[in-house]
Amino acid sequence: MPVRLSDRIGVGIAYVAGTILIVAVAVIMLWLIVQGLGTISWDFLTGEPAPGTLEQGVSGGILPAIVGTFLVVAFGMAVAFPLGLGVAIFLTEYRQPAWLAKGTDTAIDLIFGVPSIVFALFGLAIFSQGWLSFISNPVGDTGMATAQSFFCSSLMMALIGLPPVVRSSQAAILGVPDQQREAAYALGKGRLTTIRRIVVPGARPGIATGIVLGVGRIAGDTAIVWILLGGAVLQAPPDGWYLPWNLMDFLRSEGSTLTTYIFFSSPAGEGNSPGPAYGAAFVLMVVILIVNIALIRLSRRKIGKR
Amino acid sequence: MDPNDDQQRLDERAKRQEWRHALDRSADLRAAGDPTDPTAVAATPPPPPAAPAPDPLAAVEPAPFGAAAAVPAPPAPAAEPDPVALAQPLAQPAHVADPADLVLAARGLRVAFSGNEILHGVDLDAPRGGVLALVGPSGCGKTTLLRSINRLTELAPTATIGGQILFDGADVYAGGTDLNLLRRRVGMVFQQPNPFPMTIFDNVAFAIREQAKRRPSRGELMPQVADVLQRAGLWDEVKDNLDRNALSLSGGQQQRLCIARTLAANPEVILMDEPCSALDPRSTARIEELIVQLAGSLTIVIVTHNLAQAKRIADYAAYLLNGDLIEQGIAQQVFEDPANQSTRDFVAGMFG
Repeated sequence: MPVRLSDRIGVGIAYVAGTILIVAVAVIMLWLIVQGLGTISWDFLTGEPAPGTLEQGVSGGILPAIVGTFLVVAFGMAVAFPLGLGVAIFLTEYRQPAWLAKGTDTAIDLIFGVPSIVFALFGLAIFSQGWLSFISNPVGDTGMATAQSFFCSSLMMALIGLPPVVRSSQAAILGVPDQQREAAYALGKGRLTTIRRIVVPGARPGIATGIVLGVGRIAGDTAIVWILLGGAVLQAPPDGWYLPWNLMDFLRSEGSTLTTYIFFSSPAGEGNSPGPAYGAAFVLMVVILIVNIALIRLSRRKIGKR
Repeated sequence: MDPNDDQQRLDERAKRQEWRHALDRSADLRAAGDPTDPTAVAATPPPPPAAPAPDPLAAVEPAPFGAAAAVPAPPAPAAEPDPVALAQPLAQPAHVADPADLVLAARGLRVAFSGNEILHGVDLDAPRGGVLALVGPSGCGKTTLLRSINRLTELAPTATIGGQILFDGADVYAGGTDLNLLRRRVGMVFQQPNPFPMTIFDNVAFAIREQAKRRPSRGELMPQVADVLQRAGLWDEVKDNLDRNALSLSGGQQQRLCIARTLAANPEVILMDEPCSALDPRSTARIEELIVQLAGSLTIVIVTHNLAQAKRIADYAAYLLNGDLIEQGIAQQVFEDPANQSTRDFVAGMFG
């Protein structure tokens, strides 16, 4: 313990802050486990929502919601990751022309700050145009599109998944020591080779953190799903949706994710069945945790044999 | 204290003194203009004549020794005769008669960062083969001069560079210079050992691999990797551990790995920026030994803060002060009988 009073106060504040955080997280997780674990069963995880979703205890399973979350995350990150890494490399290694770098910087900050429902609304306006009906479905013969599909929501999800990827990767790339860049240049390696073989591998852990944050943001988003994927809980995906020749149709159709399932079945939604809501919340938390741990593990490079 | 350690240190010192003496001998011979001494060929580059050549016509005459065969001839540059050298024949340094013996030359090199000029028009001559030491007090611009040769200076966006650096007679700052080729032909070893966070093998292989369509396999690269590790004196220590993380090596081993990596690009010149300043005395001795060995087949330009080191290893020396090149020539002469008062004070250890 430090001797000076001001130091003691500082350390005290740090202790209190840390403790509050730990307690808050522990309470939330315990609450989820206590409330949700009872609902979790094999049937719950692999079943489809029953027609009786409105009644507690007979609400069926959440498989379509799990599949939906998986699809939205996968497609969203498939766009956000390469784009985000590219933007991060541009912002750190090139920064030319300066106006473009500045503009990109500001744009990333804006996207980070704007709530996703704003993007969802914007997406609705864009994707409902008739000529874009190939990524959702036409609405009768109105010349409009439903704007509700896995494609539409994933595209907007890519937008909200982008900033964490950019910012984390940027910080990680800046953390790669200049001596390593210079060493590569001094060996007669070009800029692109240096970036590909030295800078990006060196920044891998930070880039993985960016992906984790992006995945968390996308998996946790409700507004975009509600507006651009459909506001109803999908009863069951069509048979054989995963078969290649059915997949396009499926991806152009409405769906649901864990977040909308939670909202729908919670007392705030139509379902009034908190049990399944907690169960789904628990599953969502576990899924994100697993993704986090897996990505961080994978990103850690073991160089050679010890 | 392990007696073997002591013995080893004694051995190393004896070895060092041995090549020190060899150097002295060859320097003496050089001064005497004797080209026939075999030690001079083995330990040092072809000795240039000590006599000045004020007559520009002297440049046309062939060099008077056959010792040049000891140095592998670099590919002849396709460049036209250097206009600066022709325009200023009197700028010929006292210790080199034939401009073809210069592998590197700076002509009126000015470097500034954010308008603050670090080098005020430097004319440097690096004869082919041997060790050229750049010495001077800190902040005198020797590192900037070194980094301008392989064009690393311009990585700093605030840098402005004027004048010429002639490498094999061609200005490296001329338009159309292949930067990557230049940096392979003029390699660099840095102050802080900076191996990549890869395996030992990959560190060297990275330098060898070209952007070919097909990446060469490990088996194809192995002979080359082994060869440069041997030349860098690291092979015996790492041959069973090529797949270990390079960062797990000691500082001295890391620096020798960096030298091996540089050798892998097959350079004609190696620039060294205080390569021993982060190392302990024993590692320093090994690197110095290595430098002298390598200088038999290529040119080494070394920046050093350590005057004693410069005296131990240098064949030629250039003394810089506050961004001006004060004096250059054969090391022994610069260190023992300098023409300039400032140089005399510096080599006497009065400042710096």
